[in-house]
Amino acid sequence: MSALGKVVRSGVGRRRIQSLVMALTTFAAVTSSVLSLGLLAVVQAPFDHAFGARNGAHLAVQFDGSKATATQAAATAHAAGVTEAAGPYPVAAALDTTIGADCSTKDWAGHDNGPLTVTTRPDLGSASGMDQLALTQGRWPTGPGEIALPWQHFAADCFGGSVVFSSLPGKPSYLVVGFGGSVTDSATAFATADGFARLTAAGATSDVQMLYRFAKAGTDADIATDKQAVAAAAPAGSVEAGQSYLTAEQQATGNAKAYVPFLIAFGILGLFMSVLIISIVVSGAVASGIRRIGILKSLGFTPSQVARAYTAQAMIPATLGLLLGTGFGNLLAVPILDGATKQLGAAGATIPLWVSAVVPLGTLLIVGVTALIPALRAGRMPTVRALAVGRAPEAGGGRAAQRLASRLPLPRAVSLGLAQPFARPARAVLVGAAVLFGVVSATFAVGLESGFNRYLDTSTSGFNVASKFVIPTADVGVPWDLYGPNDPRNPHLDAAKVAAALAGIPGTKTAFGWGDSGATMVGAPPGGEPPKVFTVTGDFSWTHLELLSGRWYSAPGEAVVGDKLATTVGIHVGDDVTVVQQNKQLSLKVVGVNFDTNQGDYTVMTDAATFTAAGLTPHIDLFNVELADDVNGSDWSTSAAAALSPLNASVQPSSGGGKNIIVITMGALVATLTLMMIAVAALGVLSTVVQDTRERVHDLGILKALGMTPKQTVAMVLTSVTLTGLIAGLIGVPLGVAVEKATLTPMGNAIGRHLPPSVSHVYTTGLLIPLLAGGIVIALLGALLPAGWAARSRTATALRTE
Amino acid sequence: MTNAPMIDLRDTTKKYADGPPALAGVTLSVAAGECVAILGHSGSGKSTLLNLIAGLDKPSSGTVTVDGTRVDQLGEADSARYRRASIGMVFQFFNLLDDLTVLDNVMVPAQLAGIGKREAKERAVELLESLGIDRHVKAYPQRLSGGERQRVAVARALMNEPALLLADEPTGALDSSSAEDVRELLLDLNSDGQTILLVTHDVQLAASTAGRTIELVDGAVARDVANTVSGITVNGSAGAVR
Repeated sequence: MSALGKVVRSGVGRRRIQSLVMALTTFAAVTSSVLSLGLLAVVQAPFDHAFGARNGAHLAVQFDGSKATATQAAATAHAAGVTEAAGPYPVAAALDTTIGADCSTKDWAGHDNGPLTVTTRPDLGSASGMDQLALTQGRWPTGPGEIALPWQHFAADCFGGSVVFSSLPGKPSYLVVGFGGSVTDSATAFATADGFARLTAAGATSDVQMLYRFAKAGTDADIATDKQAVAAAAPAGSVEAGQSYLTAEQQATGNAKAYVPFLIAFGILGLFMSVLIISIVVSGAVASGIRRIGILKSLGFTPSQVARAYTAQAMIPATLGLLLGTGFGNLLAVPILDGATKQLGAAGATIPLWVSAVVPLGTLLIVGVTALIPALRAGRMPTVRALAVGRAPEAGGGRAAQRLASRLPLPRAVSLGLAQPFARPARAVLVGAAVLFGVVSATFAVGLESGFNRYLDTSTSGFNVASKFVIPTADVGVPWDLYGPNDPRNPHLDAAKVAAALAGIPGTKTAFGWGDSGATMVGAPPGGEPPKVFTVTGDFSWTHLELLSGRWYSAPGEAVVGDKLATTVGIHVGDDVTVVQQNKQLSLKVVGVNFDTNQGDYTVMTDAATFTAAGLTPHIDLFNVELADDVNGSDWSTSAAAALSPLNASVQPSSGGGKNIIVITMGALVATLTLMMIAVAALGVLSTVVQDTRERVHDLGILKALGMTPKQTVAMVLTSVTLTGLIAGLIGVPLGVAVEKATLTPMGNAIGRHLPPSVSHVYTTGLLIPLLAGGIVIALLGALLPAGWAARSRTATALRTE
Repeated sequence: MTNAPMIDLRDTTKKYADGPPALAGVTLSVAAGECVAILGHSGSGKSTLLNLIAGLDKPSSGTVTVDGTRVDQLGEADSARYRRASIGMVFQFFNLLDDLTVLDNVMVPAQLAGIGKREAKERAVELLESLGIDRHVKAYPQRLSGGERQRVAVARALMNEPALLLADEPTGALDSSSAEDVRELLLDLNSDGQTILLVTHDVQLAASTAGRTIELVDGAVARDVANTVSGITVNGSAGAVR
C-alpha cells in the first residue's frame, strides 16, 4: 500500500464514527433520490413518451349533438389558444356494456363490463395526425360487427369474444378484435363508421368530438382556460364534457406519483444533510489534525497529496453509503412500481439504469467538492505553522458569553456548558444546522404520518361506519363487487320493507340504505374507474361523511358529487350533471362536494326517491345500522335475523374498513427515512461534540482536578448543545411545517384529490410543542455519548494534554 | 496538629501496562502542617505520587490515605468530591481556564461544591486581596504575568480551604523573581498551618521552602531528609527509606 493509501486508511480507521455518519447520510440521500427520480422516470416517462410519439390531444371535447352541429364543432379549431385540432368525430358516451355469452371463460359471460365511450375515425390505425391510436393486441376493426378497446376495459380472457351494449334496444354486440386506445383516453371503444352507425341505429345518442392541442396546457388551470375558450367558440351550452390529458396521465401513472413529492423532499433534505455532515467531518478532521498535517508535510507529502488524503477519507464512506443507497432504493422501488407498471401495461418494475448511475455519480460529485474545500485548506497550510499550532484550541472566544453565563442563577457546570457554543460559534452553527435538518425532517415526517393516518381514518368513516350491516342473503359470502351493478345476478334489497323491519327491531338506533345504481355520468372521465352513482335512502348524517363544500341534498333532483370527480371534470356546486341508467337520462343539480376515499374515484350520491320519481331504478344493496348504546350486538342480530330473513336480508358484522396498502407503505417509508435523518443529525452532533471534547480535554482535566464530578461533566457537555438544539428546533419546526404543506398537497393532487382540512391540517398544539423540543432531544441524543466519554476521561492524562 | 498523618501511603505501587513500576512499594507519611518536598528527576515517579494523593489515579497495590480518607478506594464521583473538599492543586503551567476571568477562575471550585455565588465571590475576593492580586479580578489570565497567574492558581487552590495543598513544579514556568514570590507565598501559607506537598526537581526550591525533602529515584523513596537552615539532615522518624 502506498504512503498516501496508508494515511487515508488510518484516517478512516481513526474516525470510525464520523465515517459511519458520512456513510449513513449519503445512504439516506441516495436512497430517497434514486427512489424519487426512478419513480418519476418509470411512471412519467412512458406516458410522456407515448403522448409525444402519438401526438396526443391536450383536450378531447364532447359537444351535445342536439346543440352543436359537426360544422359548428369544427369551427372551434380556431378558438383562442388552439394550435392544432382534429375532428369532428362522432361519439356515443356512457353506454352500458356486458361481456358476451361467447366468452371462452364462462364465468365472465354476461358479466357487467361497465360503460364505454365509442367513437369512429376515418382511419383508426393512422400513423399521422393528432391522437394516433395504438394497438397492443389484435387488429383494428374492419367491419360493422367489430370493435377495439383498451385492455383495461375488457376481460383479457374474453379477447376474441363479444361486448354487448346492454342498455340499447336490441342489445347490439360487437366482436372484440383488438386491444388498443388513445393516450388521452379520448374514447374507450373504437368502431368502423358503419359499426358506429349500428349503435346510433339501436338508439345511442350521437354527439360530436373535437380534439385539441393548445399553446399553453401545462396545468389543470391552463386546460380549464383552454376549455372555456373552446366553449366560447361553440354554441352556448353545447360542451358536454372535456377529457384532459392530465387526467389521463394521472389515471395512467396511478398512485405511484404520490410517492414522488415526499421522496423529493427527503432527497433534498438528505443531500443538504450529506453536504453538511461531510463538511463538518472533513473540516473537523483538518482542524483537529493540524499537527498531523504538519508532520505529513514535513515528511514530504505534497499539498496535493494532503488534499487528496483528506478528500479520500470522506469519499470512502460516502461511496459505500451511495452504493448501498442505490441498491436499497432499487429494492424499495420494486413493490411501489409494481402497481404503477401494471397500470401502464409496462413490462418491468425496475428503476432505469441511468437513474442508478446519475444519482450516485451526482452525489459523489457533490460530496467530493464538499470534502475538497477543507481538504485543499489542509494542503495549503504552511508546515511550520501547522507543527507550531498543533491541536491546541485558540483561547479567547466566547468570553462575554462566559461572563454573562456566570451571572445566571444556575449550577456552575450548567452555566459553563451554556456559554461553550459561543467559544466556537462556527462549530455551534454546524451543530445547529445538523439539528435543524433533523427537526425539519421530524416535523415534516410527523405531519405526513399524521396526514396519512387521517387519510387512513377516512376508510373507517363515512359509509363504512356502522354497528351492523344488512345485505341481501344471496350476497353472504360472495366477494364484494363480484358482479357489476347492472348484472342481473346482483341482488338488491327491498329498501322500504328492510327499513321498516329494522325500525321495528328493538335496539335499532338508526339505519340507512344505499347501493350502486349502475348508472353512469355523462362527461365523466372515460378512462380509469367507471363513475358510480349511489342511491341512498334514510338519514346518514350520523356517519359524519365529510362535506367539502355546499350542503347535502335535501330535495328531489339534487345530488352531491365526490371531490375527485368534481376536481377532474371541473364540477362546482350549482352545476348540473347528467346521469344515465339503461339509456335513460336524468339531470341532477349539484348542491355539494364530499370527501370519501372508500367508494371509488368518481362518485355521485342522490336520494333514491329522486331516481324513482324520474323513472329510474334505485339500487339499495346495503343498510348501515347504528345500534343504541345499551344494546348487545349478538342479541340484536338474533332478533334482526328473524325479522329480516323473510325479506332475503342478512345481518353482517361491521368490518371496520379496509387497509390502504399504499398509504401504509408510504408511512413505513417516511418513518424509515425520518429515522435515518434523525440518526444522521444526532450523529452529526455527536461527531462535532466528540471533536469539541477532544479539543477541550485539557480544560476538562482542569475542571475535574478542581472537583467536577462525572455527573457535572455530563451536565456541562449536554448543556453545551442544549441552547443550539433549542434554537434549531424553533427554526426547524416552521420549516418542517412548510415542507409538509408543500408536499402533502401535491401528493393529494397526484392521486387526483384535494385533501380537506380534516386531513391536511395536522399540526395541533399538542403536536407542535413536542416537536419544538425535538431540537433539544436530537442535540442531547448526539451529545450523550461524548458527554459520557468526557466524564470518564482520565484527569491525569487530560492535564498533560496540550 | 493531630497525631494522625495528613498523608499516609503504605507499600504503594503503581504499574502501567509495560515497563518498570512508576512507583514501587512506597511507604511514607506527612503530618498535618508540614511542608514536604518531593524531589526527583523526570520519570522518577513524583507526578504519579501526586496523582495518587490527589485521587486522579489509583494505585496498583497498597493504600493511599489522606486526611483520614482512603483515597485509593474512592469511585470517580467521590474522588471529585474529595478533591473539592480536601485538596487544592497548583500546577506548573497554572492550568487556569482562559475564557474565565480571574475572579470566575477562583470561584469555580466553590461553585462546583455548591457554595452560593455570593459567598463564593466574597471568599474569592478575600483570597485575591490577601495574595495581592485583587486588582486583576476582572482580567483574563492571559493578560497576567506568570507570577500573577500562579497566584491566581494558588487562590483557586485555597478556595475550598483544603486540608492539603499539592503544588506541582509551581515555579517551573516562572522567571526567578516570580519564582521567589511564589516560594515566599508557599512559606507564608505553611507558616499559617497549611499542609503542603511540593513536587519539584529543583533542589534549591525544595530546601528553601519545605521542612522535609523526600527524594524519589525510579519510583522508590531514595532519601527522606529534614531540611535545616544550614542544610539537610536525614529524617529517621517521619518517613521510611527503602
